[in-house]
Amino acid sequence: MFALVDAVAFYASAEKVFDPSIRFKPVVVLTNNDGCICAICPIARKLNIPKFEPYFKIRPYLEQHNVVVRSSNYELYADLSERMMTVINRFCDDHYVYSIDESFLRFTGFSKIIDDWADYGHIIRRAVWRETGLPVGVGFGTTPTLAKAANHAAKKLSGYNGVAVIHDDISRQEVLMRMDVTDVWGIGSRLGRKLKVMGIKSAWDLANQNPKEMRRMFSVVVERTVSELNGIACLSWDEVKQNKKEIYSTRSFGERVSELNTLKSALVTHAAIVGRKLRKQQSLAKRLVIFAASSPHEDLYYKKSLLYDFPIPTSDTSVIASAVSDVIDDIYKANTRFYRCGIGAIELESELFQQADMFSVSKDNPEVMACLDAINKRYGVGTLSLGSEKLTKSWSMKRAFLSPHYTTRWSDIPIIDCD
Amino acid sequence: MFVIPIFIEAGITGFESPAAEYVELGISIDELIIKHPNATFIGIASGQSMQEVGIFDGDLLVIDRAEDVSTGDIIVASYNGSFVCKIIDKSQRLLISASKDYKSVYISNDDDFKLEGVVTASIRLHRNKAEVNRCLPS
Repeated sequence: MFALVDAVAFYASAEKVFDPSIRFKPVVVLTNNDGCICAICPIARKLNIPKFEPYFKIRPYLEQHNVVVRSSNYELYADLSERMMTVINRFCDDHYVYSIDESFLRFTGFSKIIDDWADYGHIIRRAVWRETGLPVGVGFGTTPTLAKAANHAAKKLSGYNGVAVIHDDISRQEVLMRMDVTDVWGIGSRLGRKLKVMGIKSAWDLANQNPKEMRRMFSVVVERTVSELNGIACLSWDEVKQNKKEIYSTRSFGERVSELNTLKSALVTHAAIVGRKLRKQQSLAKRLVIFAASSPHEDLYYKKSLLYDFPIPTSDTSVIASAVSDVIDDIYKANTRFYRCGIGAIELESELFQQADMFSVSKDNPEVMACLDAINKRYGVGTLSLGSEKLTKSWSMKRAFLSPHYTTRWSDIPIIDCD
Repeated sequence: MFVIPIFIEAGITGFESPAAEYVELGISIDELIIKHPNATFIGIASGQSMQEVGIFDGDLLVIDRAEDVSTGDIIVASYNGSFVCKIIDKSQRLLISASKDYKSVYISNDDDFKLEGVVTASIRLHRNKAEVNRCLPS
């Protein structure tokens, strides 16, 4: 048996843990630089606030309904996430943290101990709620994909109350029939549209497809999804978290940027982030996309995106940064109010299987990078960085509606009224 | 964080310390007062009503969400939009102040009320409070 435990609107729920004054109010949380809405609490959901809508567009509507708006308080979320995961960890020996607010559990040999999975789910749910103040949904299924489907049912479908179990054909059909095909794990919106054209509308429709046929028409991933929906476990932990095939680091600026050096230092910082992520998963970048753009909501929209090919694949931050220096003059345009920029490593190779090149020598310096990573791991990201990252700091993140760092800063701990 | 005490021994050329075999980790305040690290948070007391149980304005409160609550415990609850520290009487649904100058509060069904945790310790800093006091209303 597998389980997926995840928090209900995690960022929004986290905001409510240490602020009782907003617990019964609609709350939304904004992304980096207060750009879009990324989390909507269940109370706010009833106001039909669309997710990923630019904040400035929906602001009048939010004000009209007295919706509480918060910037992303990553310091708080990271701390609460760790607490939540540690509590969940008590309930299963095979625990896999999938994202900041989701974790998979694999129960092997538990069938003799546990006869009522729903009951066990409620015990997990109550423990996390009591000890961290976070509401979670628990879904059980005989495969990871079914556990994810059950989790969806637990949180979104009526009659489940936070816990759903798919353990036989009846419970499986009941959940899958009520689930849109795009809500199935691994079925994106694009693929979902194609499936719907073919008449495959619900998760149950998808489960009843011929897996081999699905592989022929789409991919092995869809074939596996169909098998998983039929109770045949195909995914293991390693596959659940595959190495990323593309690595992006992009961000919008806190304030508009018009100056060449500021744009450059921002791009170099993204180069450093991409480099760190490449090294973490032991990949090398063959091709980069480097881009900068003004806001599409303003006049004179400008966007420039360039591809950069490395003669020898690299994961060295300074080599990636030098690519930025090579292209910055082509990307920059004077008198432009740049709104966002970023770097993506879009063609990756494994560090382990490298064909040596007879005519060019790698400029990578793995020892220096290992040292950089070790220092930043120990003393915090940004302790050691490239000089060109620090040209200016005016592009750092804007968080106008940030709540206090209740659990990580002495100056921010909650006030307890004793009057 | 759990620390395994292994001390560097390389390079000792003279007499080895006779105490080397007896080294232990220094005592930790956390270990003494925090029983459930994941369920514990720290707040700052604001007000006079709990002085009779030794909680003064500006004291730090260690609040454990995992502890069971019984009548007579000093607890923190969320009560109509703010955190309050009181003595709980579960059977009579009362929030009782330690000081006689404050009336007990009955928790009615119309109140937004949730028990947050038990105050397992309170800490008074007699010096160097600047950082902590910044969160109190002036």
